[in-house]
Amino acid sequence: MASPKILIIGGGPAGLSAAQDITDAGGEAILVEQEGFLGGTPKRLHYSLLAPDLKPVEEVLDPLIDSVQQSGARCMTGAKVESVNSGRNGFTVTISGGGKKVEEKVDAVVVATGFAHWDPHKKYEYAYGVYPDVIDFKDFEKMLSDGNIVRPSNGQVPRRVAWLLCVGSRDRQVGKFYCCRLGCAVSIKQAMEVRRINPAIDTYVYYMDIRTYGFWEDKLYWKSMEEFGVKYIRGRIGSINRGEDGRLIAMAEDTILQRPSEVPLDMVVLATGMEASEGTRETAAMLGLELEEHGFVKPLESDSMPVSTAVPGVFVCGTATGPKAIPDSITEGSAAAIKALNYVRKRSIKVQARA
Amino acid sequence: MPIHEKNLIEKEDLLEKEKAVVDGVDVSGRWNTFIRERLLSDYHEDFVEEVKSLPGGRTVTNCWQCGTCTSGCCLHTDYGLREFNPRYFIYLAQIGNVDELKKYGDVIWRCISCNKCVERCPKGVKVEEVVHNIDEVLRRRGVTEDTPGSRWDRTYLDNIMATGVLDELGLTLKYVRAEKPEDFTRGFMARMAVKIIRNGNIRTGPIRRRTRGWKKMKKVAEDILERDGYASAK
Repeated sequence: MASPKILIIGGGPAGLSAAQDITDAGGEAILVEQEGFLGGTPKRLHYSLLAPDLKPVEEVLDPLIDSVQQSGARCMTGAKVESVNSGRNGFTVTISGGGKKVEEKVDAVVVATGFAHWDPHKKYEYAYGVYPDVIDFKDFEKMLSDGNIVRPSNGQVPRRVAWLLCVGSRDRQVGKFYCCRLGCAVSIKQAMEVRRINPAIDTYVYYMDIRTYGFWEDKLYWKSMEEFGVKYIRGRIGSINRGEDGRLIAMAEDTILQRPSEVPLDMVVLATGMEASEGTRETAAMLGLELEEHGFVKPLESDSMPVSTAVPGVFVCGTATGPKAIPDSITEGSAAAIKALNYVRKRSIKVQARA
Repeated sequence: MPIHEKNLIEKEDLLEKEKAVVDGVDVSGRWNTFIRERLLSDYHEDFVEEVKSLPGGRTVTNCWQCGTCTSGCCLHTDYGLREFNPRYFIYLAQIGNVDELKKYGDVIWRCISCNKCVERCPKGVKVEEVVHNIDEVLRRRGVTEDTPGSRWDRTYLDNIMATGVLDELGLTLKYVRAEKPEDFTRGFMARMAVKIIRNGNIRTGPIRRRTRGWKKMKKVAEDILERDGYASAK
């Protein structure tokens, strides 16, 4: 029996993990990544530290990338899957990249096409793109990675930074009914980083609920308030205006004080949610995968078969099926790898029995 | 516009003239009512830092506003002093809303230190100490005046600093003489004295005991008190 050949679409944490496990198990992995590098969104947007252990992205993902590259997996960066045709003996795929097209025959496909940050321009009342001091997650992660926390409007160190949770999540007005799962943790992590870098900057988190589930509760939420003095204000900011001195005025209701609150802030970070990436939607259409009601890929059974799909031979992992943290994506990548390998093995046994 | 939350309007925010005539129209009483805006316009970060700097005040930032302390509070629940809300005091301290805290100046000091809140707090806030520290900071800043509570603390400190051993009899007599609480009549005091001497809750008699080597230790205690901003008890 020839070694199973499996196509992985997407080179983020989930895809890398799948590629590593497939090659480790003696399979042949073809990893297709549209960007010119591996590592996915965390690398592309220059994330800083990762929750909850506050390790730098490089420390978490670089060993994974290195081991995939050394494992013998075929990594095609700057490439795109043009078409997939399923036949009697697996799939025939066309991959374009570097100005040429190649055709490959593979036994199974693992979809690891990931997510995109929700575009905060759509929430006009927060004036993202109007006031330079209103920024979002990815802008602030970049700022932290560069180690330079300054107000984009005037280049000065802010005195007071606030985070606004649930921007583009849990919001009927923008059609996002789900929780992004990470907004709380990432906001709190960013606030802690700010306080560690410069304790003179005061940090406030405007929340409806704090959803730091599991061990993130004490590792992030409790730690942030107890050790770093991050303050929490219960109330969702309704709109952001500009004050006389160029500072931002967050119009909110302080629901504990039960009164309107118009407090001046120097910077507001919008905790933008997650949605299915364009790549996820395109790939799902190409492979004939069903999307669930929130726009992500629908697993065969979300409870018992989270990495299988209704299309035989196609598996899905990571944030393509919904908001997820990096460790969960890595775990799912491994799960999709073993499911794909088992699919190929079972099918070849069947073919042999028939012969 | 109709007012939905009338319960939130405070008396001092209600502006109303008994007699008023505008352009020849009589608008006396309710017709000229104005309600002052209840806007939170800024945070004051220095307040919580000051509370935190006092001994026992460190846990003020642990609070996440669940209300466990208030719902079990002796004063709030059993005694029915609904204005005494430790959860709320801590929040006001966290955001540094001194104006609002000032309104409770005559309430905050009334904690009787039963420590039920400290036992129950899921976040490990030393509620009793924190609330006392909020009261202390308000007084240090001149926001509130001395209270019977703060005078008790002072008398207590002076008493224990004298010999290193608490003299309950002297403490009670001194405080009662100075404050003259209504309930503490001579008869009441005598009955109480018999009771607590009999059940052993009071250990001091006419002769004052001393801590051995107190002169040296007193110096250390005074240094610590001075460092923490309490005028030393010399």
